[in-house]
Amino acid sequence: MAVGLSHYLAVSAILLVLGLVGIFLNRKNVIVILMSVELILLAVNLNLVAFSAHLNDLAGQVFAMFVLTVAAAEASIGLAIIVIYFRNRGSIEVEDISTLRG
Amino acid sequence: MGQRLNRDWMTMTEPMLAEYFPILVFLGIAGAIALAMVGGSLLLARQKPYPEKLSAYECGFEPFDDTRRRFDVRFYLVAILFIIFDLEVAFLFPWAVALGQIGWFGFLSMMGFLTVLTFGFVYEWRKGALDWE
Amino acid sequence: MNWTLALPEIALACAGLVILLVGVIPGRNTFFGCTMAVIGALLLAAVLVLGQPEGTALGGLYVADAFSGFMKILALLGAALGLVLALDFNRRESLDRFEFPVLALFATTGMMVMVSANDLMAVYMGLELLSLPLYVIAAFDRDNGRSAEAGLKYFVLGALASGLLLYGVSLVYGFAGTTNFDRLADVFSGNGGVPAGVVVGLVFVVAGLIFKVSAVPFHMWTPDVYEGAPTPVTAFFAAAPKVAAVALLARVLLGPFGDLAAQWQQVIILASLGSMLLGAFAAVGQRNIKRLMAYSSIGHVGYALMGLAVVSDEGLRGLAIYMLIYMLMNIGTFAILVGMRRRGRAVERIEDLAGLGGTDLGRALWMTVFMFSMAGIPPLAGFFGKLYVFLAAVQGGFWTLAVVGVLTSVVSAYYYLRIVKVMFFDEAPAEGGLDATTPGLAAVTATTGIFNLVFCLYPAPLLLAAGLAAAALLG
Repeated sequence: MAVGLSHYLAVSAILLVLGLVGIFLNRKNVIVILMSVELILLAVNLNLVAFSAHLNDLAGQVFAMFVLTVAAAEASIGLAIIVIYFRNRGSIEVEDISTLRG
Repeated sequence: MGQRLNRDWMTMTEPMLAEYFPILVFLGIAGAIALAMVGGSLLLARQKPYPEKLSAYECGFEPFDDTRRRFDVRFYLVAILFIIFDLEVAFLFPWAVALGQIGWFGFLSMMGFLTVLTFGFVYEWRKGALDWE
Repeated sequence: MNWTLALPEIALACAGLVILLVGVIPGRNTFFGCTMAVIGALLLAAVLVLGQPEGTALGGLYVADAFSGFMKILALLGAALGLVLALDFNRRESLDRFEFPVLALFATTGMMVMVSANDLMAVYMGLELLSLPLYVIAAFDRDNGRSAEAGLKYFVLGALASGLLLYGVSLVYGFAGTTNFDRLADVFSGNGGVPAGVVVGLVFVVAGLIFKVSAVPFHMWTPDVYEGAPTPVTAFFAAAPKVAAVALLARVLLGPFGDLAAQWQQVIILASLGSMLLGAFAAVGQRNIKRLMAYSSIGHVGYALMGLAVVSDEGLRGLAIYMLIYMLMNIGTFAILVGMRRRGRAVERIEDLAGLGGTDLGRALWMTVFMFSMAGIPPLAGFFGKLYVFLAAVQGGFWTLAVVGVLTSVVSAYYYLRIVKVMFFDEAPAEGGLDATTPGLAAVTATTGIFNLVFCLYPAPLLLAAGLAAAALLG
C-alpha cells in the first residue's frame, strides 16, 4: 500500500485529537498539558511538511521550521511559569489551579 | 589516478553505493583517531584506577538509583536555557546549504539573527543564569 | 528586498535589544531609566509609522497601508500609556525590574508585525511575539500565587489557541496551496468553489483568533487572568494587545477570506452577540473591580466585532473608531484603578471606592466620566463609539445585532453607574479614604478624560483617519 497525503493527514488529525483530549481530560499534572500542546504542534508540523511535499512548494517546510523554534521558546516559557507556580503552591496538580474564581 | 580509481569503482558497484564512499572514509578516520586516543592514553599515561573514577559519570548523580526521586530545580533552568539556544540553530542548516545562492543579503540576515541570539546570551550571562550557585 | 519599509518594527526591536543589554548592569536598579527609554522608543516608532510609505515588502510577508498605520499608532499609544501606569505601582510592589518595560516593548513589536501581516506565516510570528512576553508579564509578580496562576492559565489556554490557529493555517495552506494573503484572495475569488479543507481550516483560524480577542465562546481565561495579574499588567492587556488582535482578526477575515464572508459571517455575529450578552450580565455580580473590567472588556469586544460582522465600509470604520475610544477609556479607568491604595496597600474591590467623592472629588469626577463613557452616555466618546457600529449594523440590515447591542448597553449601564453610586453616596470605610494619587497617574487620567469629554466637539479628523483605514482594508 502506497502512503499518500491522506494517510499523513489522518495521522496528524489523530495527533491533534490526542493533544486536545490530553488537555481537556487531564486532571493530574500541568506538565501533561505542556506535552499535549507539543503534540498539537507536532500535528501541525506533520501537516505542513506533508502538504509541502504534496504541493511541491517549499513554504510549508519553512513554516515548519518557524513552528519548531517558536514551540521551543513556548515550551521553555511554559516550564518557567510552572516552576514559579510550583514555588508558590508546592504542587502542580491541575485541580489545585482554581483560586481565581468569581 | 584518483579519477580513474573512482571511475573503476563506479563501474564495479552500484552508483548509489559510490556516493556513500566518503562516509566509509570518515568512519575509517574516526575509528583510527579513537583508537589512537585510547591507545595513546593506555601506553603513555599512568594508570591509577579507583571505584569513583571507574563508575559511569552522570552529572553528579548516583548512576544507578531509583529514577523517581526529585532533583534540583536548577537542572530545569539549564535545560530551559538550552532548549532555546539549541533549536534556534535549526535555522543554520538550511542557511548553510543555500549560502551560495542567497548572496550578501542572506549572509547578513543570518549574522543579524546570530547577533540577536548573542544579545540574549549576554543578557542571561550578566543576569547570572549560567552560574550554578 | 525593500526591507526598509518595515523600519518601525526593526527600529523598535533593535531598541529593545539595546535597552535589554544596558538595563542588565549589575548592582543598580535601572527600572525607571529603562521604562523611559522604552516609552521613547515607542514614540519614535510611532513617528516612523506616521512617515511610512505604503506598499508590501519582504517577499509579500509584510504590508503597510492606512489600516496598519492607524492600528499601529493605537497599539503604540496604548503600550506607552500602559507603561506610565506601571511606573509607580511596580516600585511600590517591588516589581521594579527592568525586564518589565522590555517585555512590553517586544510584545508591542509583535502587535505591529501582526497588524502588518500579509501572510499566514507573519500572522503566526507576530502573534507569538506578542503572546510569549504577555505570558511572562502576567506572571511577573513571581512571589504572588495569584499572579503565577494567572500566568499559568493564560499560558495553557493561549498555547492551545495558538495550536488550533496553526492547525487551521496548515489546512488552509494545504488546500489553497499558499499562505500569502493576496494569492489566497485570488484563489478564493474564482467561482470554482472552495475546498472543504479550507472551510475547516478557516473555522480553526477563527477560533484561535476569537480566543486572542477574548470574545465568547473563548473568553473564559479573561476574568481569571485580569484578576490575578498585577493591575498595570491588566491595564496593558486590556489596551494594546486587544487593539492589535481585533485588527488582526479584521485583516485576516476581510483580506484573504473576504470572498468567504458567507462562511464566517455567522460565526462573528454569534461571537458578537454572545460577548455583548455575557459582558452585560456576568459583570453585574462582581465585587472585584479588575474582574468587572474583564467582563466589561469582553462586552466591548462584542460591540467592536459588530462592526466586523456587517462587512461594510461603515462597519469597519466603526470598528476602528471603537477600538480607539475603547483603548483610551480603558487606560483612563485603569489609571484610577492602579492608584487605588489604602494606607500604602493596593486594594481592588468595588467597596474600596466608597466615599471617594467626599475625600478626592477630582478623581471621583474623572472616574465618573470614564464610567459614563463606558456605559455609552452622550455626549462622551463612548457613546460615539457605539453609535457608529450601531448605525453600520442598521444600515446593513442587521437588526438583531443593533437591538441586542442597545439592550446590553442599558444592562451594562447598571454596573457602571453602580460604581458612580458607590463613590458618591456610600460612606467611606472606617480606615479612611484612598491615598493620594501620583502625578503620572493623574496626568494620564486627565489626558484620557479630556479626550473622552471633547471627542464630540471635533471628531472629524479621527473619523477621517478611521475611514481611510477601513477603505484600505476593504479596497
